[in-house]
Amino acid sequence: MVRVKSRYLLCEVNVSDRSRLLLLDDRTIAVAVKAVVARTHGDYGAALCSVGFSVKYLNAHTGIVFLRLPKRCYRLLWSALPFITSVEARGQKIPCFLNCLHVGGTIRTCQKFLIRYNTQQLHRMLPKCKNEEEKQQVRQAILNCSLTRGKNEALEDELGSEEDEGE
Amino acid sequence: MSVFMDLNLSYTADRSALQSMVDTAAHLGFSTVAINYLFEPTAKKKQEIPTPTPINELIDQLPIVQGRSRPIRVLNRLTVVMSDSSHFRPTAPEYRSFDLLAVQPTTEKLFHAACMLYDVDIICISVTEKLPFFFKRAPVNGAVDRGLVFEVSYSTAIRDSTMRRYTIANAVSLMDSCKGKSVILSSAAEKALELRGPYDVTNLGLLFGLSDGDAKEAVTSTCRSVLLHAETRRTASGIIYTMRSCSESSCQQEAPPPSEGEAPAAKRHRPALTE
Repeated sequence: MVRVKSRYLLCEVNVSDRSRLLLLDDRTIAVAVKAVVARTHGDYGAALCSVGFSVKYLNAHTGIVFLRLPKRCYRLLWSALPFITSVEARGQKIPCFLNCLHVGGTIRTCQKFLIRYNTQQLHRMLPKCKNEEEKQQVRQAILNCSLTRGKNEALEDELGSEEDEGE
Repeated sequence: MSVFMDLNLSYTADRSALQSMVDTAAHLGFSTVAINYLFEPTAKKKQEIPTPTPINELIDQLPIVQGRSRPIRVLNRLTVVMSDSSHFRPTAPEYRSFDLLAVQPTTEKLFHAACMLYDVDIICISVTEKLPFFFKRAPVNGAVDRGLVFEVSYSTAIRDSTMRRYTIANAVSLMDSCKGKSVILSSAAEKALELRGPYDVTNLGLLFGLSDGDAKEAVTSTCRSVLLHAETRRTASGIIYTMRSCSESSCQQEAPPPSEGEAPAAKRHRPALTE
């Protein structure tokens, strides 16, 4: 069996005010990406973007997005992403930009990268903690994600089912 | 070994904005950034060349770069926008206080002069207007031989759709003549939200007519060669570094003190030995 190949872009939504990240949902990101592709690449880009493009996952707390793009034209569509300056969510315009962290062939590889990346972020948070209590919490979180069978497994299952549907 | 660099962050008097810009750059994974002071002389009156604010006064604490354990490196850079040949004074002592020196020629004659004669590091390509001239092979090749690089900045393209057309048009016409080598891509961002991640910038090179490898080099190794070129320009091939000692008798020239952190570690011992 040959499957339909696609590329998964693991992007981070950067905003100046982190509390506004919670307003985001899948639809708003998809609409913003489609609009920017149509703006930069015209009808051709919009046509390519209409088949095989989807927002697979969005974590509103950390601002992580998985975008699925068809493999044959992912570079063209990706080149439009830097031109996103704001996302319209629930009637509000949120100024933001997308920062691509990883490009993968399957959701699985992206997810592995994401776990590593998030662990790294926890390590970066550690020196910034103000009091001992926060420090302890971050340490606990780092320990949790370095355990092999923990929370990750549950997340993997959740994402794994989504991947099956994409194939 | 490749680290990402962004050699153009616009200077703003607002310190918190600058701080957040440097923080964002470190978060995105840039290990070196340069703060750009724009100097645009006009014909009527003589203007002061801006003096750089020392980095430690400008930024309280240098953030740690994403994925590395080192703090970000911040440099100063001066860009002279030239519309007349008298605007660039090669021997001006003010230029010496900047780490990087760039010119932005606006006419063909000045472009030729900048490529062949001027002692600078970077030649900026205008992105806010359609270029009134073509890039000829001869000056471009001359500049590449002398180790200068051309800079295309992308944040104006993000701001406005007309500027995007000009940016892409000028960049593509530059790539035609220099074949994608010795080009750097930088942001020229005024706000933190105008920065883009290094991988996005690399992919943006696709729109500017760069190939995959050249686009990657445009954010990594070419930037590094600019820094090395700047160092050799300021310090007599990186061997000896002279600076005015800031003692009371300012007219009296003393033996050059060893430069701190400027010269490579191997070269730093030289002046110390002569003392």
